[in-house]
Amino acid sequence: MAMAASDIVDLRLPLSEAAARALPLGQMVTVSGRLFTGRSRFHMRAIEDGLVPPLDYGQVNAFFHAGPVVRNEGGVWHVVSAEPTSSIRFERYGADVVRRLGLRTLIGKTTMGPRTAAALRDVGGVYLSKIGITGNFLSQQIRRVCEVHFLEELGKTEATWVFEVERFGPFFVAMDANGGNYFEDLQCEVGQHLPGVYAQLGLGADWEYTCVSPKPELPVQRA
Amino acid sequence: MIRGEVIEAAMYEAMHQAAVHLPPDVEARLRMALAEESEPLAREHLRVSLENAALAAAGRGLVCGDTGFPLFFVRAGSRTAVDGGFGAIRTAAAAATARATRDSFLRPTMVDPLTRGNPGTNLGPGMPKVELQFAGDGDGLDIVAVPKGGGSEIFGTFYRMLYPADGEKGIKRFVIDCIRDGCYAGKICPPAIVGVGIGGSSDLCMKLAKEAALLRQLGEPHPRADVAHLEQELLLAARSLGLGPMGSRGVNAVMALHIELAMTHTAALPVAVNAQCLVGRRWCAAIDAGGRIACTGTLPPRETEAHA
Repeated sequence: MAMAASDIVDLRLPLSEAAARALPLGQMVTVSGRLFTGRSRFHMRAIEDGLVPPLDYGQVNAFFHAGPVVRNEGGVWHVVSAEPTSSIRFERYGADVVRRLGLRTLIGKTTMGPRTAAALRDVGGVYLSKIGITGNFLSQQIRRVCEVHFLEELGKTEATWVFEVERFGPFFVAMDANGGNYFEDLQCEVGQHLPGVYAQLGLGADWEYTCVSPKPELPVQRA
Repeated sequence: MIRGEVIEAAMYEAMHQAAVHLPPDVEARLRMALAEESEPLAREHLRVSLENAALAAAGRGLVCGDTGFPLFFVRAGSRTAVDGGFGAIRTAAAAATARATRDSFLRPTMVDPLTRGNPGTNLGPGMPKVELQFAGDGDGLDIVAVPKGGGSEIFGTFYRMLYPADGEKGIKRFVIDCIRDGCYAGKICPPAIVGVGIGGSSDLCMKLAKEAALLRQLGEPHPRADVAHLEQELLLAARSLGLGPMGSRGVNAVMALHIELAMTHTAALPVAVNAQCLVGRRWCAAIDAGGRIACTGTLPPRETEAHA
């Protein structure tokens, strides 16, 4: 049984703080408006080198974690596939990027960690996670390739593309604007199952690997 | 005598087909999982993935936009003759990869690990990866092309040196913890095909895990009964984690679990895990001695122990 269209809410970009704060974990959504892409290189350059594409982040403030497959036909860019990439890799820089650019919408695969969750809570933003392998649907929902930045330096995959999208998705709210994380909640449930799974494999709760190298004690850091 | 341009054509065709089709056994297993899952989100992950793949098969995109690492597994027989020698296989693989990248069936994803520079061709030291094995007394070439997605490779690769006293318990603990870790938030794109290597030297152990994940028809049990039993036990345990498609609440974290073994040191028990994602991309091209190419989504039969 497919999701009924009424279960999916379409969000206008840029997302308002009020709209972000009202979104519950697990809600399925699509987005319409403008967004920009980036991956590891975007995050590292933004924070380490202070290099960000010259966009009006008040208007274009949805960050799509992806490296699209693109093809140039007669000087016009076409998106062959736009598969979201694993956002959890960007956790080192995620919070700083959200705060510096005031981002209210992150879109990607997986989720992000506690520092980004705190930044989204402070800014009033959400993280949307992809549903299934979906790059062909997403590429069809891209109405226009508006701009591309850093193409020469970074190549097609890591460059920043600005897309105009319509009913782009669906995604689900994996991090809400109140610090909640769908996957961290689910991981608590998995933790409840684990003793039973170990027992099923004949492993006691106290089973340990043979230790051949004790961990050195590190000096206690004083504040 | 098999000519280089025939090998290149076969490799291109296999990589192209791998990028736009789900292998038939993978698709069948995903449909079984869809019938089994009850959570709406778990079902949506599978339904969307199957429809997305159908678009790719109809010429509208790719099975997955991350075409990952370009890998070729090549099996030659003792009577196989290649024009220009076996080195021609590597040349053919590079040419096929560059062409598939130019034609947008492969995304230019391979970069220098330190400078992160991207030549845009997927070519460079070590890439594409060609794994050449000799088996049997045939005179053809069996090629399996695998665009190995980043998610499953980056988040689904684990190695641990256990010791004989850790035994089968240690293997089970390691494998189930790897599955839980890899499935968190859908990192390895479950339902995964989990390959487990046990024994060998460290490099052989990881190679076994990778080939267990990539080169076996789904669910085909290991020919040794004790190994097949361990495969089944671990698969059942993975179904009890409470994790399903793309790390959602569900049952199908793993769609198949395959183990491969090699002899190892009497003091050692190395174990490796390598996962393949739910789209399980691979396509095969068989070249006969006359240079005829036959492409299929079904893998060539398992190498028998006598040939190993």
